[in-house]
Amino acid sequence: MQKKLLAKSVAASLVLALVAGLNTVPAQAVDKELVVWADENRGPNLTKVFAAKGDWVSGYKITVRSFSSFDALKEAVDKATDLTGPDIIVGANDWVPTGAKNGKLAPITLPASVRARFTPNNFFDLSYKGKLYGVPLDINNVAMVYNEELVRNAPKTLGEMVNYYKANKTKKNLAAGLCIAGGGTSWGAHSVLSALGGSAYRMKNGAVDTSKPPINPAELAKNIKTYLLDANGKSNGFFPATDTGCKDNYLAGKVPFAIIGNWEWLDYMDKGFQMNLMPVPGVRAGTFGTMFGSVSGAMLTSYAKKRGVEAGAKDLLTNFFASTAGATAYQAIELRPPAEKGAQSKVEFTAQQNFGKAASRAGIPQIGAILNGTTGSKSYWDLLPAFWTAVLVNGRDPQTEARKMNEFFVKNIAAGVKDL
Amino acid sequence: MLESLFRNLPKVLKYVFLALTISILLMFTQSAFAKKEYEIGVFLLVSIIVIAITYLTTFSIPLKFFLPGILFLTAFVIGPILYTVVMSTYQYQTGNYISKDQSIERVQMLGIAPDEANTTFDVVVGKYNNQIAVLASDSINQRYLLSTSTEKIELSPSLVTVDENGVATKVNDFTPATGDEIVQLDFEISSTRFKYEGDYFIMLEGSSVGAVARQVLDYVKSADKFINLVDGTEYVDNGRGNYANTDNLEDVLQPGWRSPIWFSHYIDLVKDESVRNPLFTVFIWTVVFAFLTVLTQFALGLLVAMAMNKPIKGRRVYRSIFILPYAIPSIMSILVWGGMFNTEFGAINALLGTEIAWFQNATFARVAVILVNLWLGFPYFYLITSGAMQAIPSELSEAAAIDGASPRQVFARITLPLLLKIVTPLLIASFAFNFNNFNLIFLLTGGGPRNELDGQIAGATDILISYTYKIAFGSNVQDLGLASAISVIIFIIIASISLFGVRKSKVLDSFS
Repeated sequence: MQKKLLAKSVAASLVLALVAGLNTVPAQAVDKELVVWADENRGPNLTKVFAAKGDWVSGYKITVRSFSSFDALKEAVDKATDLTGPDIIVGANDWVPTGAKNGKLAPITLPASVRARFTPNNFFDLSYKGKLYGVPLDINNVAMVYNEELVRNAPKTLGEMVNYYKANKTKKNLAAGLCIAGGGTSWGAHSVLSALGGSAYRMKNGAVDTSKPPINPAELAKNIKTYLLDANGKSNGFFPATDTGCKDNYLAGKVPFAIIGNWEWLDYMDKGFQMNLMPVPGVRAGTFGTMFGSVSGAMLTSYAKKRGVEAGAKDLLTNFFASTAGATAYQAIELRPPAEKGAQSKVEFTAQQNFGKAASRAGIPQIGAILNGTTGSKSYWDLLPAFWTAVLVNGRDPQTEARKMNEFFVKNIAAGVKDL
Repeated sequence: MLESLFRNLPKVLKYVFLALTISILLMFTQSAFAKKEYEIGVFLLVSIIVIAITYLTTFSIPLKFFLPGILFLTAFVIGPILYTVVMSTYQYQTGNYISKDQSIERVQMLGIAPDEANTTFDVVVGKYNNQIAVLASDSINQRYLLSTSTEKIELSPSLVTVDENGVATKVNDFTPATGDEIVQLDFEISSTRFKYEGDYFIMLEGSSVGAVARQVLDYVKSADKFINLVDGTEYVDNGRGNYANTDNLEDVLQPGWRSPIWFSHYIDLVKDESVRNPLFTVFIWTVVFAFLTVLTQFALGLLVAMAMNKPIKGRRVYRSIFILPYAIPSIMSILVWGGMFNTEFGAINALLGTEIAWFQNATFARVAVILVNLWLGFPYFYLITSGAMQAIPSELSEAAAIDGASPRQVFARITLPLLLKIVTPLLIASFAFNFNNFNLIFLLTGGGPRNELDGQIAGATDILISYTYKIAFGSNVQDLGLASAISVIIFIIIASISLFGVRKSKVLDSFS
């Protein structure tokens, strides 16, 4: 009996001892900490920048949590709560509408002096229902490159590119004429749609033009038939409906023109390709297909206030993310085109500069409230790839499909502009 | 002493292991309560008590063996099922994630609007008359003011000390806060509304910028409604997790909250055409897919087993080769097959000399799905049927042959019926498995193709589980409540099939 009692006492003591040991909460060394969440690329780069200089907001320790992938970051953001969420999220602009709807993001009002550091279009991406939820960080855009070993001079029209492809398809064993290596067949391919006469929405004087539809089905169909289809209505192979293999084919010299993203230019330069970046030429000389110039953003969360660091978080946004010094220090490592004008002027790499030039020639803001919209039950992101498949793979009538796509676009524009 | 220690070693180890387990569970419990995950915390606490009672007493010997299984079953099977059932009765979608209290708080925060001129001031935070105050400067217009939550004092430029940028830094009776004080006062200064003109106030945007704004949406707690203070619009609880404009129910305030809507999702599954029609199509394809998969896999597996049952040369090598698809991780196989079916670069089109767009055409995509699944699954049935055929007494077929039955008759009348009797439970289990074969569909076709331009919501190869995943996570608008309702339906179907399989195999007989 005594032995049993002893054994149980020993067990109870062990439990208590272990509980005490395991559950001891370490002393909080830092009371005020600003927590930034970022993906596997931006996170480590931000960590390096803050390690080199950590006093962007005096009195606060800045902690960056890097996630293993962009998707992992998004998943963590989706699951964040008042108790676990960060103060600032560095992420995609199209998270803004969802983050705002779900109460995860908090609005910020920037003084005119800070707003002046960016082009007004940059704020479209980070706004929802008239409120701004973050500061622009870097510009994401695509541009077209051409292989100078195949094509000597920059093309002036889309027709010139198609003619080159048709003339050299067999002779040079070309896999395609123009393909999408970066950005996919929706985001990356807007410039192709636009070069052919269509658009996700039209802009006029810095605002969405709702006075006329984004697509004229007859015009778009005519151009598709002229440039992308054979006489029998099948794809002529110039523009593949998918982006599979585009990058490899371009690097292998099997594609003369490719649309690439500004995050991957080093891969091309490493292989000896020139960054002769330009927008996709339109059907008439001097016209170009517009491409989305979106920004990634550093976004303020509603958790910052809960954690009693909202003022500090807002200071970090303006003192670091939206400042020339901060953007320059960060982009010197991240190597993306900075959104902040002062930092843009300090960019050293030609490729970064050329992406910026291409965007300034034919860039339109990426308006998530319209593009993500599903009022017409489908978003732009689903519709454009479906359009390419229908017309280039399944051989459907371009005008009928263009009309369907236009109807969805018009509905999404009508709903989206209300959320701007 | 040593002998006694060795004798008691199992007991000592038991208590150490128990102490460790309970300590870890206690740590999780503490963490769960700290994160306000009360259900998980209570479950862990109950688990600790049950573990302690079970293993520190002789309350029940069988329970000592069953308890780990019971706890894991509860935590990872029963818990998620109950959670899914509960969530299927909630408006739980993009825009309706948080609690009602959080929603009210956020709507109030978003209900603040800046003035038309977007006026901002450079501010210095400090104290005035023991109150938190800001010394605000409009250096361009040389306007300066001192403001607390209760009063605003316009200051003559001659009264303030300004820095090189024209920003006021000092004025009598105002004590600027130090850097450390600002850090400590972060919540207070972010929450304080410093008095401005009329119903406008200055709110801080960081520690050195103040923006002029006013509260446009005001919450009336007694009536549980929001009022737009500018135009008088009223927003009331619409019963679906949002405050809606009383004059226009489509106009709702965001964010909303997770609100119980009971059986609305189930009713939508039946009544709402946009939900019902794609779901019905997907259900039909799911049944066809699962049935064809089982049929083709069983047929090929049986054919190979019969062939391998003959004394042919190199039989062992062939057997090893036939097992290979089963040995390779299915994820790898599916991705490889995905590449092989690629229209432009795939090996299939290259071999056939065709340009078939396998994943862009509904029929071809379905054929591809069945073919890949046949590749992945036939070795399983080859193994099963090989074993099962060994269990069929050879005397039966020999006797039939002596009686004049042809080999085809022996197979059709003796081998196949006996084989089916043995493998039917496995066929049913395979059907249930393929009913939920998410990996194959997700990795091979992503549920596609679907013609967005024709308004199709579900893809041609979407099965119920991949369709549910799309509803829950596949787009910008995530409807977890509706997805939960469909999951419950899938659960009922799978549970029914499994129960049928178990009854068919008489497994439960051994327990009765």
